[in-house]
Amino acid sequence: MDAFILSYAVVNGLLQGAIYGGVALGLSLIFGVLRVVNFAHGSFLMLSLYISFWCWSLFGMDPYLSALINIPAMFALGYMVQSVIIAPLIKRESAMVVEPLSALLLTAGVFLVMDNAALMAFGPDVRALQAGYYVPTIVVGGIPISGQRLIAALAAFAVAGGISYWLRHSDMGRAIRATAQNRDAAAMSGINVSSVYAMTFGLGCSVLGLFGALIAPFLPISPAIGLAFGIKSFIVVVLGGLGSISGAIVGGIVIGVFEAVASQFVTATSASIGSLVLFILILIFRPQGIMGRA
Amino acid sequence: MSKSNWARSVQKVLMAGAMTAAMGSSAFAAEAVKMGCVLPLSGGSAAVGNQTKVGVEIAAKQINDAGGIKSLDGAMLEVVFADSQSKPDVGVTETERVIARENVSVLCGAFNSAVTFPATEVAERMKTPWVVVGSVKDEITERDFKYIFRINNKATYDAREQIDAMDMLKDEFGSGPKTLAMLYEGSDWGRSHAANVKVIAAERGYEIVVDEAAPPNQTDFGNQLLKIRAAKPDAVIVALYTPDHLLFTRQMMEQRLDLPFGVHSVGGGMEDPAFYKALPPEAAFYAFVQEDWQIDILKVSTDPAILSADEATKAALGYGMSAYTAQGISAVYVIADALERAKSADREALRAALAETDIQSGPALVTGYNRIKFDEQGQNTFAHGVISQNIGGERKTMWPKENRAADSTPVWPVPAWSDR
Repeated sequence: MDAFILSYAVVNGLLQGAIYGGVALGLSLIFGVLRVVNFAHGSFLMLSLYISFWCWSLFGMDPYLSALINIPAMFALGYMVQSVIIAPLIKRESAMVVEPLSALLLTAGVFLVMDNAALMAFGPDVRALQAGYYVPTIVVGGIPISGQRLIAALAAFAVAGGISYWLRHSDMGRAIRATAQNRDAAAMSGINVSSVYAMTFGLGCSVLGLFGALIAPFLPISPAIGLAFGIKSFIVVVLGGLGSISGAIVGGIVIGVFEAVASQFVTATSASIGSLVLFILILIFRPQGIMGRA
Repeated sequence: MSKSNWARSVQKVLMAGAMTAAMGSSAFAAEAVKMGCVLPLSGGSAAVGNQTKVGVEIAAKQINDAGGIKSLDGAMLEVVFADSQSKPDVGVTETERVIARENVSVLCGAFNSAVTFPATEVAERMKTPWVVVGSVKDEITERDFKYIFRINNKATYDAREQIDAMDMLKDEFGSGPKTLAMLYEGSDWGRSHAANVKVIAAERGYEIVVDEAAPPNQTDFGNQLLKIRAAKPDAVIVALYTPDHLLFTRQMMEQRLDLPFGVHSVGGGMEDPAFYKALPPEAAFYAFVQEDWQIDILKVSTDPAILSADEATKAALGYGMSAYTAQGISAVYVIADALERAKSADREALRAALAETDIQSGPALVTGYNRIKFDEQGQNTFAHGVISQNIGGERKTMWPKENRAADSTPVWPVPAWSDR
């Protein structure tokens, strides 16, 4: 194994890991505030990929420009799913539990409905978006870096930074953090908890809207695509620390770089298994995740 | 109306009714023959399954329009489709359902070897003949089963043809690959293909330097591509289904990975017309594809059934016949031929007739074979594919040399990305 291939592997891992992290951001945010594990996370991503695809194929809209439609559309969808489907459950169980486990089952139902509805509506064919221009591949020290992947990876850092800043410095952000810390105390201080929940869910989904637009240019889209990302997102978020924004990015990069480097020594399949062993090991020693608070 | 008039008109009505009933009974005297068709209509291989389904429907309609099964008083063919969801367990339960509940005389399917393998076991146990469509796993026709018949290649043939093509080009141009990389999907089809390639490559003096299986629905092939880059093979043999093949091909172009003797796909994704609609055409330039049928058959065939089937495919899918559509058509015509000779929809009689199959002309040969005749294991020993190369976006038959058109010249070695 020479140094060139190794550094190439690290670059690959960083790019892919940051994209995993960016996709997982919404999942972490929603869990951190609502304590709801959104099993339908991957399905929301699948939907946003289709939104970008249809914007391009029906209206000839640039995939990156389609973020302008994708983000608000996904926000609205997330807001609606929370306030119509999940809110009644939280309301009913609020007296009994802090972490509504049954919400996991509910979102699992949402996942099944969305994936199968997509299969019915869009058909099983694999689709792919082809931008009319070519985003150049940058070559750094002999290592080609796909421009499209680089944009998505950089966006992951930017969005994570942006959300952290916004959570700390805006009124809404403070309300969200207060709700995350103690729902009842927040409600008593005059925060409209159900609106904060719906906002947070919408925000989490709108991040997916952005990433749908950013990864649609290089990823073949099919109704089953959500599951692959959904499962990766869970691993990434739990590894990084459930509810931690920076943890999602760190977790993504740890998984991405580990898989990229390990798969140079063993088959990529064994590397994926290895990444799960790493996942278990980290959780044994840091049950709260790398960046999570105990 | 007087009473006698009234009575007379009642009489007329009754007579008319009786006549209709009599006519009806003669027209429907022959009960429709039910055939089951287990296909991946959803899940990872859905695109392929739906193309096969269209082929089956077209062939059944052609046969029914031409008067059905003549030896059975013009019995219509009725196809019962079952969705395997590309999953073995679902395929098996669907097979049981179609045999036991729908009471079909014969089955066909199921494209994914991982589904066909256990599902044919059910069919064998329940003594229902099964005509394999698309699956190439060797063992499907190596189990001494009596009810299983396969029209198309088995995996060994596919692997041998790929290496044959490399040998042929090496003879023709004086240079060729010495080291090979292999990337394949990790279920039955990919693994059995890889195992066959390894055996044949070793016999012919090729060295395998990368050997990678990938589970379906990957989100990134960067790691595998890097491994291939590091090992510097002369060519890569690929066995992936459509979504993964797309991702691999796209990333290979993005990363400008040069292989002097190119990509040799055993089909799967690169035979799927949906593949070429989802990719810039230059991404697949110069790729070699092991085709399950002679892709340029429509240029040489004059069979009206084949030509009209192509039109019907275009109407149904928006693109012309693919190997998958052709295989669906072929299976139905083989079954119809057996029904004609069996003169019965009985499963045992049909099995005996299928075993006696010897077709040397007609639309059953749409896939480009010269003959369909099963050995004692149920394998059609006359099956063969072709190897095509993508020249300027058109896949042209290069191997066997005698099937090559006059204007087709292989490009060998393959130009580097920077020279394209």
